[in-house]
Amino acid sequence: MIKRIIARLDIKNNFLVKGMHLEGLRILGYPELFSKKYFDDNIDEIIFQDVVASLYKRNQLSYLTNKISENVFVPITVGGGIKSIADIKEILVNGADRVSINTGAIHNKKFVKEAVKIFGSSTICISIETLKINNSYKIYTDSGRTEINIDVFDWIKEVQDLGIGEIILTSINNEGTGKGFDISLYEKASKISKIPLLAHGGAKTPDNVYDVFSKANVDGVIIASAFHFNYYKELLDKKEIPLTGSTNFLKDKNTHAISFEIKKLKEYLKSKKIEVR
Amino acid sequence: MKKPLAGIINLSTNNILSIKRALEFIGFDTVLINKDITIKKFDLMVLPGVGAFSEAMNTLNKTKLIKTIDETLNKNKKFLCICLGMQLLFEESREFTKTKGIGFFDGKVESFSDFSVHKKTLIGWNKVNFNEKFFKDNQEFNLLQNKAYYFVHSFFVNCKNKNIEYGSSVNGGLNYTSVVKKDNITAFQFHPEKSGEHGLSLLKGVTKNI
Repeated sequence: MIKRIIARLDIKNNFLVKGMHLEGLRILGYPELFSKKYFDDNIDEIIFQDVVASLYKRNQLSYLTNKISENVFVPITVGGGIKSIADIKEILVNGADRVSINTGAIHNKKFVKEAVKIFGSSTICISIETLKINNSYKIYTDSGRTEINIDVFDWIKEVQDLGIGEIILTSINNEGTGKGFDISLYEKASKISKIPLLAHGGAKTPDNVYDVFSKANVDGVIIASAFHFNYYKELLDKKEIPLTGSTNFLKDKNTHAISFEIKKLKEYLKSKKIEVR
Repeated sequence: MKKPLAGIINLSTNNILSIKRALEFIGFDTVLINKDITIKKFDLMVLPGVGAFSEAMNTLNKTKLIKTIDETLNKNKKFLCICLGMQLLFEESREFTKTKGIGFFDGKVESFSDFSVHKKTLIGWNKVNFNEKFFKDNQEFNLLQNKAYYFVHSFFVNCKNKNIEYGSSVNGGLNYTSVVKKDNITAFQFHPEKSGEHGLSLLKGVTKNI
């Protein structure tokens, strides 16, 4: 099966933001600009995540989804604050192909089962955020704010039994840091996951992506910082960034290096015999 | 110049907006069809579909949209069917319960779980091997040969009449029908409207001359 390269756009108040360890968000610009660019660059899929939706108990992504799906002709997954059948319907009629649920699934498993029955398993994706402390992986809700006392591997087994189509597994430790993927996490998770598993958190170089594909049996990787910073710099050079604000973070030695293009990544993976589109 | 008009049969399934947007992108005006109406004004009819077979047949019968489809099939109107829309044209499916389909083509819809395959549910990009005759009238299609398109399905068409099979794909050890074509009917198991640039080119190609 062809491996999927997925761009993730974290959204707060209709702006594209990016942080580190799911915190310290910075505004990068208009999401529709970035998603269009990624579509033109041959991305396989796009994920939109309202990063404060669960915390503020709301979801504002349907308007944005509608706007973005006007010129993005690859699958779109939307997540953040989804907790009812009506929430899902609203997002799907506005152009999303799938929804991803995290907090809503932990609080109400019956809701997930019902959603699978109504919309089909391939439409319902479970997003899991995990933090490694003292060699044990616990799961979190509300974008890494609230710890739930469940082991991540137990949770992976449990959500599969709900009939869902896919799992997004985020390593909070590595997210936004450019440390590379937590290979041992994905190795172990992919062994117990019978459904597609997507790895998210830590990609700094194309080689990090190759690493996770070659060592763990994941179906796709989700990348945010590297694609965003690459395009952000391009826009800055062209003076097309519409927002004023500090761009000092781009001069930061660590952040600066997290940057590569979709096309370059795909070329690199092909050269290493990983099948991509 | 007046744009050609596409009528999209609305099964109220998940994502009707993407096919509408994709058709508009390649130059169509679109109308969603929710009940049985006369199809004369449409240059292209489209039957998209995501969801369960039996549910879709129920909706088609309840809304009498089944009559609209019959008319489309019999009047030789240009007809594009996608995913579940393709499966519905066949005799029956065993998804959840055994359900009779439209039965325009011979063959049954079967479950990947009954076969030795790589994945019981395919979500993602898979290659399509088009039959040479698919390109006969459209040489510019050659660049679309053996490219990856976006699939989401756990059931597939076991097409009895190999003359209408214009393309196939592979899941593990199983070669299954992913393109069906007969006269004015073109059907895809994958989603051209979600298959990036190649998907849009394919849509453009199959709808040209209208």
